[in-house]
Amino acid sequence: MRVQESGPMALLFQRLGPKVLIWLTLTFLVIWTATPIIWAILSSFKDPLEIYESKSLLPEVWRLDAYRKVLSMPGFGTWLMNSIIVTVVATIVPLILAILAAYGFARYAFKFRHVLLLLYLIPRIIPRVSLIVPLNDLMSDLGLINTYSVLFITYIASAVPLATWILVGFFGSIPKEIEESATLDGANMWNRLRHVMLPMAWPGVVTAAVLCLREAWNEFSFVLALVNQTDMRTLPYQLYMLKDSMGIQDYAVYNAFTILTVLPLLLVYLLLERKVVDSIVSGAVKS
Amino acid sequence: MSHTTPMVEDGPTGADRLKPFVPYLLVLPGLLFVMGILGYAVVGGIILSLNETDMFMNKTFVGLKNYIDVFADPRFQDAMVRTLSFVVISIVLGIFMSMSFALVLYKVVRGRRFFRGLSLVPYFVSGIATAVMFRFIFTTSGGFVNTVLAQLGLPAQSWLGDPTLAFAVAIMANCWFMVPFASLILLGGLQTIDKDLYDAAAIDGANPIQIFFRITLPLIKPMLGVSLIWVSYISFSTFDIVLALTSGGPLKATELVSIYMYELAFQQLNFGQGAVLMVVLLVFNTVLSLIYIKIFVMGDRRHSEAGK
Repeated sequence: MRVQESGPMALLFQRLGPKVLIWLTLTFLVIWTATPIIWAILSSFKDPLEIYESKSLLPEVWRLDAYRKVLSMPGFGTWLMNSIIVTVVATIVPLILAILAAYGFARYAFKFRHVLLLLYLIPRIIPRVSLIVPLNDLMSDLGLINTYSVLFITYIASAVPLATWILVGFFGSIPKEIEESATLDGANMWNRLRHVMLPMAWPGVVTAAVLCLREAWNEFSFVLALVNQTDMRTLPYQLYMLKDSMGIQDYAVYNAFTILTVLPLLLVYLLLERKVVDSIVSGAVKS
Repeated sequence: MSHTTPMVEDGPTGADRLKPFVPYLLVLPGLLFVMGILGYAVVGGIILSLNETDMFMNKTFVGLKNYIDVFADPRFQDAMVRTLSFVVISIVLGIFMSMSFALVLYKVVRGRRFFRGLSLVPYFVSGIATAVMFRFIFTTSGGFVNTVLAQLGLPAQSWLGDPTLAFAVAIMANCWFMVPFASLILLGGLQTIDKDLYDAAAIDGANPIQIFFRITLPLIKPMLGVSLIWVSYISFSTFDIVLALTSGGPLKATELVSIYMYELAFQQLNFGQGAVLMVVLLVFNTVLSLIYIKIFVMGDRRHSEAGK
């Protein structure tokens, strides 16, 4: 109805309405996305008692005490190293396995291709947390609880399907003719993969790597179910345990710990943001 | 194009005999991990759900007894109802937010890259960190919301101490975490639409709402399907966010099936019943995903093939 009115106000609304709506939504998007992170950063620089009083949004004095306390926690170096080791292995190994598999799926016609491809897809719709009960049972039987191996194999297993699906798409979009001309020049499969496919699908490889990195760095359910020694914890696990381990909660330390666990991955994302966002927007990454 | 070159050409000798196996050799190592671990876990979980375990993890086959016990357990029934409402509200709110974000990210001209980049940040924050951040937004003393309320002279609320409010906060944290990926998928859909269609519709006198429902929505159906699968997958398997945010409380107000499963298996050491809950999660999630694929992706493909 409003569209048909023709008073000056209605005209103004018609012209400005959509713009105002866009800017309101955009403002909400920015506040919604940034507030939890900015609040954690601000709180991490406050004095613990100052936080309790909830008087002001900004710290009275910007203190680094909380960060000093986190870095001097007896296990912090160990948890950080655990996270780094597990993440590096659970990024590189799945990436290699996925490059091989994706090349096979994208370039060969073979028996059971669809069935095998489906076996790679199905794990993506299985809620990971649901697997922790049988996995704990299996790994206890195998005596693998509290080992790096158990984290490696479970993390790798859950990252391979994701990386494979991204790369099948990227490899598939490379014209076969380019590879065929490389074959005529005498390149064998390995050379074609290394010098033709990988460079051409590079944005896909980077995206797959970043997403594997993300899964491994942030993983929680598996490490919770398969590890119970303090020195085998990863950063997310320790962040979770902080809740119980601090008698009177030092909120500043809690926030500083959160920021320190989130920061490394966010830096990686910032560096490679363009490729990752473009890959997701272009539909190449489908959960 | 008289001759086609075979893709594998490693010389005429021994390598030739290997040729038919090459694709399998490429595909199998990864599959070994996937099936060995994830496949085993699914099968092992189903077997486990048919057994009763004691404290030493000795198993006795009991058939469907665990299922009967679990389905008759009021605590499970409550958790199931809670999970379903958590999932439904999360899907509705999550898709609404994703669509709104995708539309503004599509429309905005100045600072487009910045806004897109920023919008994806929560996707890289772990579930645990998300939960901790939301705790400090809503915690009673020192939380962001209560600090703002105090500045405005309004009374503080016990957000995480009230069952209804805590449930709402859990849904918000879940949306914060899952919406960014869904909105970029939808944004990708919006970008594939030919702008001429909008111009033509505008000339025909269609209003923005009509354009959205008649043109935009049908054309991005596959991407809508993908975001729906993502949003419900995340909501069904929400575990770390709720565990670290409320641990299922207060008064079990946020005890979802995944939280109760963890409690059953790892606190009460009742692995058999825990495995039943695993099977329940698995079945719900798979059925839901298949429904989406059938409606949005397959249906659309058939449609577009018929159109050719």
